[in-house]
Amino acid sequence: MAKVLVVADIKQGVLKGSTAELLSKAKAIGAETAVAAIGSKTEALIPELVKAGSDKQYIADAPGLELFSAGPYAACVADAAKQFGADMVWFGFSESGKASAPRVAAQLNAACATEITDVKLQGNQIEILRPAIANKVMQRVKVNSDKLVAVVRAGAFEAKEGIAGTQNVVKLSAPPADLKAAIKELISDASGEIDLADADIVVSVGRGAKDKAGVDLVKQLADDLKAGFGSSRAMVDGGFMAHNKQVGQTGKIVAPSLYIAVGISGAIQHLAGMTGSKVIVAVNKDPEAPIFNVADYGIVGDLFEVVPILREEIKKVRG
Amino acid sequence: MKILTTVKKVVDVELNMHVKDGAIVQDGLQYVINAWDENAVEASVQLKEKNGAETTLVSIGGGDNTDMIRKCYAMGIDNGIHIEDPALNKADSAIFAKVLQKVYEKEKYDLVITGKQAQDTDSGQTGIMLAQYLGLPCVSNVISIEVTDDKHIKVSRLGDAGTEILEVELPAVVTVSDSINEPRLPQMRGIMMAKKKKINEMDLAALGTSADDVGAAAPKSEVIEFMASKVRKAGQKFEGAAAEIAAKVVNLLANEAKVF
Ligand SMILES: Cc1cc2nc3c(=O)[nH]c(=O)nc-3n(C[C@H](O)[C@H](O)[C@H](O)COP(=O)(O)OP(=O)(O)OC[C@H]3O[C@@H](n4cnc5c(N)ncnc54)[C@H](O)[C@@H]3O)c2cc1C
Ligand SMILES: Nc1ncnc2c1ncn2[C@@H]1O[C@H](COP(=O)(O)O)[C@@H](O)[C@H]1O
Repeated sequence: MAKVLVVADIKQGVLKGSTAELLSKAKAIGAETAVAAIGSKTEALIPELVKAGSDKQYIADAPGLELFSAGPYAACVADAAKQFGADMVWFGFSESGKASAPRVAAQLNAACATEITDVKLQGNQIEILRPAIANKVMQRVKVNSDKLVAVVRAGAFEAKEGIAGTQNVVKLSAPPADLKAAIKELISDASGEIDLADADIVVSVGRGAKDKAGVDLVKQLADDLKAGFGSSRAMVDGGFMAHNKQVGQTGKIVAPSLYIAVGISGAIQHLAGMTGSKVIVAVNKDPEAPIFNVADYGIVGDLFEVVPILREEIKKVRG
Repeated sequence: MKILTTVKKVVDVELNMHVKDGAIVQDGLQYVINAWDENAVEASVQLKEKNGAETTLVSIGGGDNTDMIRKCYAMGIDNGIHIEDPALNKADSAIFAKVLQKVYEKEKYDLVITGKQAQDTDSGQTGIMLAQYLGLPCVSNVISIEVTDDKHIKVSRLGDAGTEILEVELPAVVTVSDSINEPRLPQMRGIMMAKKKKINEMDLAALGTSADDVGAAAPKSEVIEFMASKVRKAGQKFEGAAAEIAAKVVNLLANEAKVF
């Protein structure tokens, strides 16, 4: 039986949904599952980790692990993988996952793949599917190694209900801090806002909104919908939106039930981050804007006129 | 200070792409510098201008890379190494990282700057693996680099919880995000000077290594098939009076798409 170690995605002490998604997939391919939870106060998450579907929990819990540092983080994962005898290590889609996976792969002498959307297992033979070239193509990749470290693309797998695992905790010793790449400070993103990765609805704003007043207008729509509020790169570069709000190839990959793109042209790098959404709505004054090629519902119009009306109409149907 | 910048020639993602019989149709494709590597070049040149440095680029594969490398010279890069070897035709990021390791070891550098990912692989592994192989500190997804003294740089990276500030001991590897800078356009003077500059062309043997040595004889992963990705179809597009079409779409969202 193949063994899959899932690295728990923990943000500000909260266990993210991707962990249960990855564990569900691991069970679906018939694997024995374990989870590695690395950080500070991670022990508190044990019941949730069991509920998410893990049969073994490798816990690294130390104050020194509170701020992400790729070296120690990867060392913990590699340690857990060795103890568990993992054939595969899966990270959820996150910056820490992307920074750690290649390190873990190098330490385990394993193959490494990022942004995977599917895994197939035939005997010992691992095969994966992943998009490449800004989502323009899919690649089928054969893994010529008995070990694989992978980062799973956001929204690739679904969590199944009722797959709860069993509690079987193994404590990992905390690795030494990385003195050569020492984390000095974290400038936290505004907390209290809805995390784009978790949001069921995402409203994103682009250069069409022009300035702060425009951004505030579109944000009101996001607030009404209790949606995550994202952005194209243009508005990040313009200083109107924080870096962590950028949706796209270099930003966040999102796959919500509803994505509303307001004043966004639909450059390929932006599309790479949102075409996995179930329903896409676009508001753009240019009928030829490429965003309309991927939108289920396109509204050709001036956002300054359209957004207030959308808010009114949504209030009517949602009460 | 000696800086090594890695630069890959990749397919232009802005062009249409088709897949036939498990491979990408080459007709009509063009190859350009990887966007993130252009940021890496710009970052290297900025450090050179600010603190003084010798900048070298290395590019593996891509066939005739003369135009791309000259462009980087024109931006301000001092030296260029191009490695071409048929053994690397199927190389994955881990193998490229091994080759880069050999390049590094030939003539040690204080700082290696790579792009955060290559637009053809979208893999984001090479720089981080290179650092692992070399046993050097590494910071990925970097949005600023500042030299603090001979032995240290201060960098910030975009992490999950916000912007992380790190102090890094040199030698080190960083991978850069496109948010780090706006690459300059080469100026006429630079373009003229670039034409006269040499490119150091090598194969694996000249680099003092072999296909076996860099793992190219047995890649850990290989792409066995390219497939067309699922394209979303354009749905309904509404033009006309804003009040009318906005109401219509909200109705469809509620009753057809059932998202509300
Ligand atoms: C390596 C690389 C990585 C990148 N990564 C990303 C990424 O992760 N995410 C990302 O988003 N981009 C990314 N980009 C940038 C991308 O190529 C585009 O430049 C960017 O997405 C454009 O943002 P935009 O659509 O807001 O602006 P624009 O392209 O300028 O589009 C603005 C749109 O607003 C419309 N508009 C104007 N006024 C109005 C109005 N009053 N009402 C309605 N519509 C209006 C216009 O018709 C236009 O379509 C990347 C680029 C590179 C090279
Ligand atoms: N063949 C190559 N030649 C030069 N640099 C490369 C090569 N492959 C990868 N790199 C560097 O590594 C980065 C990440 O590549 P990848 O791991 O393929 O996403 C790129 O942005 C380049 O800077």
